[in-house]
Amino acid sequence: MPHLPTTFSSLILVSLLAAAVPHSSETASPGSETVPPSIANQLSAPHLKNLRTRYQSLSAQLSRLKPNQPYILVDTARNHLYIKRQDEIVLDALASTGSGTILDKPGEDKDQWVFDTPRGEFRVQSKLTNPAWVKPDWAFVEEGLGIPHNPADRVEQGVLGDYALGFGKGYFIHGTLYTRLLGKNVTHGCIRLNDEDLKTVYRVAKVGTPIVIF
Amino acid sequence: MSLLACVLLLLLLNPSSHAGEIGAFPDLNLKDPASLQEATRVLEEEVKLASRPQTYLLIDLVTRTIHIKGRGIDLHRIPIMAWSLKVPDAIKGTHRLHTRPPVNRRKIDPTASVEQEPISLADMPVDYTLSCTPPLTITVLSSPGDNPLQWIESRGKIWWWELKEWANTFSTEQPPPENPSLRLEVSTEQAQSLAWSVVDNMPLVVRRSADKNK
Repeated sequence: MPHLPTTFSSLILVSLLAAAVPHSSETASPGSETVPPSIANQLSAPHLKNLRTRYQSLSAQLSRLKPNQPYILVDTARNHLYIKRQDEIVLDALASTGSGTILDKPGEDKDQWVFDTPRGEFRVQSKLTNPAWVKPDWAFVEEGLGIPHNPADRVEQGVLGDYALGFGKGYFIHGTLYTRLLGKNVTHGCIRLNDEDLKTVYRVAKVGTPIVIF
Repeated sequence: MSLLACVLLLLLLNPSSHAGEIGAFPDLNLKDPASLQEATRVLEEEVKLASRPQTYLLIDLVTRTIHIKGRGIDLHRIPIMAWSLKVPDAIKGTHRLHTRPPVNRRKIDPTASVEQEPISLADMPVDYTLSCTPPLTITVLSSPGDNPLQWIESRGKIWWWELKEWANTFSTEQPPPENPSLRLEVSTEQAQSLAWSVVDNMPLVVRRSADKNK
């Protein structure tokens, strides 16, 4: 093994020791962490007051952007659906959200279905009772079945629970027969709840209720 | 009694006064010009983001928290255990994430008799880099936890990152970095949670711990 210069060896040892000591580092590039004392003296009292007013005005603006009605919050990582009214949690429900798996579309090179629950902000667009599932193409492809030509062959009753709330592009909050899978990412993008929680969501939410999904 | 009633009436009629005094950042010292300036800058950006139906990140280096937000509401908080920021002056305005960290999605095989395992938080990476526009590189490193082997691995990764940064600083061949880079150390679970929650083109704002006056 080649002999390293003593200085370099010491440098490596110091670096190792420095990294070994846990430090809640707030380092930044030199000179940028601390504000020069002269800054405080440069801002006049009126300027500081204006800045303060601006800050408070923006804070109020931000506050006004928050929903002032109940809204639905979906945590897809932890599979929970909440109904919230400002900071109050009205409902905390175990849910199932998108599995994240992919399925090749037959006959279409490199085109795939991706079974994610969409992220972002949406609105309740429809409220249905006793919804029937109109099975999309992927539901047949996934089972290795052919895609039916007759639309009536796509309809399946009793699998979506008592209610469904649509929020666009074919995505719904609905019930499930597979309540043992609640809490897991197993769906094709929709959000599943048990019967009781679904009933609460259906009762509280209106068309236009915000749904925030992250 | 009438005086008390008047006072109560005034307070009731002006409910936002208290909220305005607290502001969006409860930790903020309103007498500190630099902090006030920075908080105001961040709020200006956040008000724009909160006005749109989207989720966004607020990386608050003052309170050491990553906020996943929508409409000004905190959807999820991720504590930052340590951070390091280079070229903080180059962080201005809103940055947008290019792409979320890659994840190995499982493909459904219609011919298979066994169901594919769905994706979960455990599938998400624990150490990764996020690239943004305007240029900002965010390196997320997971903290070691109680496992000694994980501790060694984690310290090794941080040491290697710091050694590269140190070498760049003193290298006469490379010019000083112009693009900001932010290193965030979070718990393993939260690193995975962040990787899960970010989406392509997601906007983010960084609240720096001090503003450098030019």
